Amino acid sequence: MTDRRDFLKVTAAGAGLMLGLRLDAKPRPGEKPAAAFRPNAFLAVLPDGTVRITVPKTEMGQGVRTALPLALAEELDLDWSRIEVVNANPGPEFKSMQTGGSTSVSSTWMPLRKAGAAAREMLTAAAAATWKVGPDQCRTERGFVLGPKGQKAGYGDLAEAAAKLPVPKDPALKQAKDYKLLGRRTPRHDGPGIVTGKAVFGLDVRRPGQRFATVLRCPVPGGQPKAWDEAKAKAVRGVKGVVKVPTGLAVIAESTWAALKGREALATTTTWDEGSARDFNSADLETRMRAALTGAAEDARRVGDAEKALAAAAKVLEAEYAFPYQAHTTVEPMNATVQMLADGAEMWTGSQSPNRAQEQAAAALGLKPEQLKVNVALIGGGFGRRLGTDFSTEAAQVAKAAGGGPVQVVWDREDDLRHDLYHPATLHRMRAGLDASGRLSAWAHRIAGPAVLRAWMGGQKSPAQASVEANGALDIPYAIPALTVDFAEVEAPTPLGWWRGIEIVPNVFARECFLDEVAHARGMDPLQFRLDLLGDQGIVTFGRDEADIRRLKKVLQVAAQKAGWGRGLPKGRGLGLACHAYDGRTYAAEVAEVSVEKGRLKVHKITCAVDCGFVVNPAGLEAQVEGGIAFGLSALTTQITWEKGRTVQTGFHDFPVLRLADMPVIETHVVPSAEAPSGMGEPPVPLAIPAVLNAVFAATGKRIRRVPLEGGQI
Amino acid sequence: MPSYQLTVNGRVRTVDVDADTPLLWVLRDTLGLTGTKFGCGQGVCGSCTVHLDGQAVKSCQTPIKDAAGHAVLTVEGLSKDGSHPVQKAWIAEDVAQCGYCQPGMIMTAAALLKRKAHPTDADIDDAFADHVCRCGTYPRVRSAVKRAAGGAK
Repeated sequence: MTDRRDFLKVTAAGAGLMLGLRLDAKPRPGEKPAAAFRPNAFLAVLPDGTVRITVPKTEMGQGVRTALPLALAEELDLDWSRIEVVNANPGPEFKSMQTGGSTSVSSTWMPLRKAGAAAREMLTAAAAATWKVGPDQCRTERGFVLGPKGQKAGYGDLAEAAAKLPVPKDPALKQAKDYKLLGRRTPRHDGPGIVTGKAVFGLDVRRPGQRFATVLRCPVPGGQPKAWDEAKAKAVRGVKGVVKVPTGLAVIAESTWAALKGREALATTTTWDEGSARDFNSADLETRMRAALTGAAEDARRVGDAEKALAAAAKVLEAEYAFPYQAHTTVEPMNATVQMLADGAEMWTGSQSPNRAQEQAAAALGLKPEQLKVNVALIGGGFGRRLGTDFSTEAAQVAKAAGGGPVQVVWDREDDLRHDLYHPATLHRMRAGLDASGRLSAWAHRIAGPAVLRAWMGGQKSPAQASVEANGALDIPYAIPALTVDFAEVEAPTPLGWWRGIEIVPNVFARECFLDEVAHARGMDPLQFRLDLLGDQGIVTFGRDEADIRRLKKVLQVAAQKAGWGRGLPKGRGLGLACHAYDGRTYAAEVAEVSVEKGRLKVHKITCAVDCGFVVNPAGLEAQVEGGIAFGLSALTTQITWEKGRTVQTGFHDFPVLRLADMPVIETHVVPSAEAPSGMGEPPVPLAIPAVLNAVFAATGKRIRRVPLEGGQI
Repeated sequence: MPSYQLTVNGRVRTVDVDADTPLLWVLRDTLGLTGTKFGCGQGVCGSCTVHLDGQAVKSCQTPIKDAAGHAVLTVEGLSKDGSHPVQKAWIAEDVAQCGYCQPGMIMTAAALLKRKAHPTDADIDDAFADHVCRCGTYPRVRSAVKRAAGGAK
């Protein structure tokens, strides 16, 4: 493409990302970015002034298609109403995309701003040269460069000249006080497409000649079909064929309904070798986890000698906390559409790990990654489920086995519950020692359960295993002279994966509830007890993270004050709180107000205070707080249990996630900060359960150490 | 072969599918109207909600034989340009997160407001009892329904 207006390349520092900016005055229809560059985001200015921003993170409702373009648009002084946002696809330009860990804004913030600022300097210089004035005599506004004598040129018209200029290495960034877009409430970019039904999710992909497929999988993960009779499936109108794939038997059909009906018919003829997991059950796992609460474990963190301090304590408290297996239940079930081509294949899917999806599906097809083009679709809920690549690899295998044109593999809700990559159950043995003066002198937190990180590492044990599984426990922010946090791995033959809030959810549940127990045992107010233990600590290091405890203390104080902590409440009503410094980056505290009437729990309100550094989009932040709390509250009533190697739960009827009527009022308070932005997707999640259960104790005197609540009852 | 006629978004359509085929799949696979979503197929998540003669129904639980001869309205037909009061309220309240369950929610909201111009909180709880939003947009759904009803937020 020698006649292409050239590019400008910006290498951004900071997160180590490469950023490519592209100012292209006359792009051809359907033209693709040149493969010579390796950017994490593209910018293209079209001749009509439209600016196309390619987002290197997957939109799954957390607002990256709004927040990320805002950073670039701010520095480039774009007209927000004229931007076009497109998803990045894996390939030479985007080599390691992954969306998770609440890092989308923090990892792209500086590179995107620098990309915008560099482009702005070049466009300004191009205009200044044309007008024969100094660049400092020009300014930019909403997609135009403005000269000292009223000259005005659109970015599209300047792109060709700007592209010939050298790229500034260290472009000047705006001061926060000059922001026009950042820090203001910006509605979701995809809102209009969503409310009109035009937004295309993975399941909405329709290709010419597309067929639909379901896969009959063994209800016990890892099991295989022994014998089956295709005839019954093929007798269903619209069914084209049945093919064996590594995960089971795929029914290929003209419509989703035919594929579902064909699978139902096939199931009646199929016998299974259920494999080695066929006897696995939750009760047995719990027995083994309980055994692992004493004896050997791997240290996650040690301060002083907790055992010695416990032995010397005037009073020792001990309790066991339990958290179950959980499923993600994204409302859009897993799906992927794959088309085999003469020299490769093409895939359309919603993935939080598009590059992994590409590599693994290509390997399954015997292709090189670059021979499989992956188009990242909008995601109807991720929550970590779509970091997995099981469903996209399976779809590739189905398409290959089926032959011919494109195939969309559709999961239904039962498939989703039965073949998730689950968050595993854990038991927690909590011990605290109080010395003769009543001071908290020792803390021991033992976690026992299956290791998510091992599953993510393909069955290999990582040196980081104990610290990852103890996230939320090892970074206990309170100043305690002697503490030990350790992890005892308990094997389970179930698929595992990352779940919104990860191990922090059970670990902070156990930690913040048990701390409440200690406060009450001491006869102290739980807020004051925490404030005393946070004390006057400054920056504290926990392994690879460090947290500024002053920021945590501040959010705790704000949440308590805004919630009216300490006010009188009617009988049966109570307030409870919890706080955490998420990965040492986002500080959050929640206060729950609940009532318990005839055993029925009602969460009335949750007041949340957060400090996540500079807030890019307050509207997006509030949505994440509301959504994170809803996700956390759901785990008060949901669980996955195992019998005979399979899940007992098969749908929303027995995996009762939170519904509208039970959603409390959420009040969000931001503690202003000039620090760089961190993340908000996960931090609100882990606080909801302990805040609510601590409030239940305040309301009723009943301490709940096990979730889910039986039938939602106290 | 069975053939069914129905009106979809004001247009008469004839489809040739089995009698038990859920309206959901007729809309999505036969007619290419993918705004109506598949969430559970069990009638408990509300993502597939459409209007049948003005009433909100779950299209995954409505076989084509029952929809034949009736008027179906999907999110695509709610307005030409997103100008239905519920759609406008949804934008104003910035309701959507991932957005997948939202067309179903919007159709339920539109049917509710047709039935009751000024719904109470209890009416809203009741109308959305069969909807699941895993992103937790519920507080904004409530606000948007009230806004569309012309009430204060």
